[in-house]
Amino acid sequence: MLHVACHRRFLALKAAPLRLAAVTLGALLLAAHPSAFAQPAAAPPAGAVPAVTATPGATQPAAAPASAAAAKSAAPAAAASAVPATPASDAATDTRGLDQDIQGLKKDVVDLNRDLFVLEEELLFPANTQVAVFISMDVGEFFALDTVTLKIDQKEVANYLYTPREVEALAKGGVHRLYLGNLRAGQHELVAFFSGQGPHERDYRRGATLKFQKGIGAKYLELKINDRQRRQQPEFEIKDWE
Amino acid sequence: MGRQQPNDRAALRSRTAWTAVLAGALAMATLMTSAATAYVLLGHQAPDFALHAVGGNNVRLSEHRGDVVVLSFWGSRCGQCRMQLAALDNSFKTYHSAGLQVFGVNVDDDQAGALEFARTQKVGFPLLLDPQKSVARTYVVDNLPMTVLIDRGGAVRQVHRDFSSKFEPLYLQQLRVLLNE
Repeated sequence: MLHVACHRRFLALKAAPLRLAAVTLGALLLAAHPSAFAQPAAAPPAGAVPAVTATPGATQPAAAPASAAAAKSAAPAAAASAVPATPASDAATDTRGLDQDIQGLKKDVVDLNRDLFVLEEELLFPANTQVAVFISMDVGEFFALDTVTLKIDQKEVANYLYTPREVEALAKGGVHRLYLGNLRAGQHELVAFFSGQGPHERDYRRGATLKFQKGIGAKYLELKINDRQRRQQPEFEIKDWE
Repeated sequence: MGRQQPNDRAALRSRTAWTAVLAGALAMATLMTSAATAYVLLGHQAPDFALHAVGGNNVRLSEHRGDVVVLSFWGSRCGQCRMQLAALDNSFKTYHSAGLQVFGVNVDDDQAGALEFARTQKVGFPLLLDPQKSVARTYVVDNLPMTVLIDRGGAVRQVHRDFSSKFEPLYLQQLRVLLNE
């Protein structure tokens, strides 16, 4: 008997947190969707409407079937006027409040994500060692960009394939950050290889080189693809943003 | 006869025990096998990639977020791959307007063979080249043909490591479920 009692107590103890969790979950659901629980009161079932709204005269057994039918058709309208409007408006207000809460939460998440992103960048790429390489394109009539390979100090650091959408975005004036990394202060060499289709849809591959001095602050470099109208050829250059 | 009954019972018990042990071992082996073949990316976000397409533009997976994407990994020496690509082409033609994208990813070392295969296999969707096998490694391709179904949210939802014409209705059913989401 003692054993059984102990076992029951153990089960009760084991079930207690579950019960607590279930009660908490129920409370949360009730708090989150009060309208769902308030709905029956606000909009009673069709069968219940005549009982609530019927006048003593209408429920008389002596009333004719025609008048009963008329009473039935009039019942919803009467019900609408008879049922107090406060629970429905309360439910609508609650739903609006819930929507606002959700929107607020979404905004908080977006803000938090942005802060984390900034923090991550600051930690991983401190300003004194940071090097960023961007790419931009002007017109692009003589060159359809396909791939850019980037080497810094003879080491390949990026190889990016551009899709037509990305090329279109670049042609519209967009700037793409191709590489973000860290470099110690001193002299460095950047080599960029551009592959794609040149004039007359021929395969085209060109390179551009820049030797640059990395100081204490962040370094920003830009790969520029321009059209040289006089030579009917694309032109590739690397610009050092001081 | 009366003496033999306990012996029969003992034999029955022993046989039942052995059957139970065997069944347990079989179940364990099945579980272990299924655990070994469980696809690691199932339920996770599909890794992004960009690849050259045969005779076309580059394709980046993340640009197709919002569409149901089917990745079919194939090789030019794989006979079933040809059947599967043909079946996928039918699905692509039917459901492309509903938001279905299909990409065939070639994993051959020999690019010439892949290009010849692509030339003879007329399909409406892009055939991509992965000579470095970086995408195949990322997607843990261990059999050809292998098909990965990605939902509109970019998560890997189904994987098939083989193809047979009898699987086609199953593929279609799974595709329809993803397209209706």
